[in-house]
Amino acid sequence: MRQPSTTPKTIGLVPAVALNTLRVALRDRTVLWLALLFLAMVVLSAYLGWSATNTVNHIYAQALPMLRATGLPVPPNPLADMPPLAMLRNMTTYISLLGALVAIVMGFQIIAEDLRSGVFPLIASRPVHRAAYAGGKMLALLVSIAGLLGIAAAGTAITVVLMPGNPMSPDDWVSIFKFYSVSWLFLSAFGLMAMGAAAWSRSESVALLVPVTAWLVLTFVFPQLSANINPMAALNPIKAMVAPPVSAFFDFTGPVLAQFSLVGAYRDVAATLLGFAPADPASLGMKGGLALISVANLIFGALTMTALTRLSGTRSNTDE
Amino acid sequence: MNEYRTQIRALAWKEIADVRRTKLLLLVTVFMLAASFVSLLVAAVALKVDVVSYNGARELLLSLGKPLDALAPPAFMPLKLLRGFVEYIEIIGAVLGIVLGHRAAASERGRNTLPLLLTRPLSNMTFVVGKCLGNFVAIGGVLFLTFALGALGLVVIGGVALSADDLARIGVTFVAASLYVGFFFSLGFLLALHMRRSVHAVLLAFGLWLVFVLVTPQIGDTLDPDNQVGAGVFRTLSIAKPQEKEIMKSFKTYETLRDSVEQSSPAKHFERLSFAVLGIKDTYAGQPLGTVVQDRSGDVFWLLGLLGSLLAALAIFPLNVNHLKEN
Repeated sequence: MRQPSTTPKTIGLVPAVALNTLRVALRDRTVLWLALLFLAMVVLSAYLGWSATNTVNHIYAQALPMLRATGLPVPPNPLADMPPLAMLRNMTTYISLLGALVAIVMGFQIIAEDLRSGVFPLIASRPVHRAAYAGGKMLALLVSIAGLLGIAAAGTAITVVLMPGNPMSPDDWVSIFKFYSVSWLFLSAFGLMAMGAAAWSRSESVALLVPVTAWLVLTFVFPQLSANINPMAALNPIKAMVAPPVSAFFDFTGPVLAQFSLVGAYRDVAATLLGFAPADPASLGMKGGLALISVANLIFGALTMTALTRLSGTRSNTDE
Repeated sequence: MNEYRTQIRALAWKEIADVRRTKLLLLVTVFMLAASFVSLLVAAVALKVDVVSYNGARELLLSLGKPLDALAPPAFMPLKLLRGFVEYIEIIGAVLGIVLGHRAAASERGRNTLPLLLTRPLSNMTFVVGKCLGNFVAIGGVLFLTFALGALGLVVIGGVALSADDLARIGVTFVAASLYVGFFFSLGFLLALHMRRSVHAVLLAFGLWLVFVLVTPQIGDTLDPDNQVGAGVFRTLSIAKPQEKEIMKSFKTYETLRDSVEQSSPAKHFERLSFAVLGIKDTYAGQPLGTVVQDRSGDVFWLLGLLGSLLAALAIFPLNVNHLKEN
């Protein structure tokens, strides 16, 4: 079927589609509950980081007499020089874990809801250019992720200020802003991937499971293959940054997989910004990591745009 | 009685036939097998690195004419190679359970066969038992295949011969995995059978998976003081185990709280039981299987209790198709 031409009027529909999509998303209680869980965990992560650091400091204080009694030089407190933002180290895990899944559910629901409710054939019967529809949907996703992270950032800022013995410099606040900006870019890639999957697949379950599987591979399989990090250790922000064993196998897999490791790149960039772990030599570093996350957005954005513009106007329901 | 049996058998066979046709099951199974293969391969490579490193140090000491007493050889416990394998079952096995549980109910809802089934002389109990039985057979089959390939992988990739005791330990872990995946199946099935919209049921099931499998173990793990430094706090400070225990006595409340967070996760019970049985947890290495299972009976009861309570909920709560809303 011939599509309506792209005119300023049709392009003007992008904000309208986006606004309506956001209104519908705000009524979806499941997405809201998941988003609330994510926000709660992000706020809690600052407390967890502070609590764990505080415990290590107390352990060190108790260990000092024992260490002095040995007569050997007393090693320094391993967390003594940790920057204040290191307290937020768990946030990288929650954003790459919960945040990515919330973004996947959001991206999936934005498209699946239109197909499920039978709204899509109705839209297809109207003079709405498919690119405007796709643009509006993508804009809604990007805005909703930005909104979610904006609230998370506000929660983090309040928690950081309330935590005792954690002075923050202006540079630290800039780093938090940078961290959330990178997080937005990272989550957008997963949200766009899920949108594309929802448009490509006729089965809702497959559409949801494909991006979840991609996320599982990037989060658990890649770190294991590239650095012998067991799946559950990949959830620990410190253990996930441990250097791989010296071996030809890891020397080969590390740099090769780093080119595709979206989660690894995000963790590395986030760890550098928050200053809790040195950059992994096998990873892409700050610039390379940012480039990979940006390229992932471009690729998934293009694939989603293609999938949505090719979506049959007769498709209303999905096969369970 | 015979009629019930026939109905249950018919439902179970229908489930197995349906499951075999499900592309999703194939996707999750292939992924679980691939991830398990990767974990075994990487564990074998890491072990080889340890052995090479030990041999290098040994030759250096010999060439210098020094005694080898101070050099501890790497502990070779073949079943320890299954650590990543167990963790993948923990994560992907739970997804498999949810997918199957959701499918078992959502397929009936999607085809509108659920109201039709309920017009027949079929009790709620028979329906649930038939559905669960068929899917438990499917789960057992997939897990058996995964564990069989895991054991084969140990022999081929790890280059180790498995004793009868090793096979028994793998068998116990397989049973624990079946209970664990069965719990997530029951969760997915219960939600998809009783929630008004099936899409909300699957999203909630994944939300609970996230909390049970990833979030609570993660909180417990990251609150562990020894996990705050890459090499471990106590190792970094060169503090021996007895002194470590002495220091940690002052943090009893903190540790109890941390342990309670972990205890709330079915994944952690499965992990603790499996790690103990396979000797991955150092304190259980070399202990007889019976002693280990007896010592971890708390985890066994947790797994049985969690699965049992969900099955009871499935049997007790009556189905009301008028509450269900489909697309």
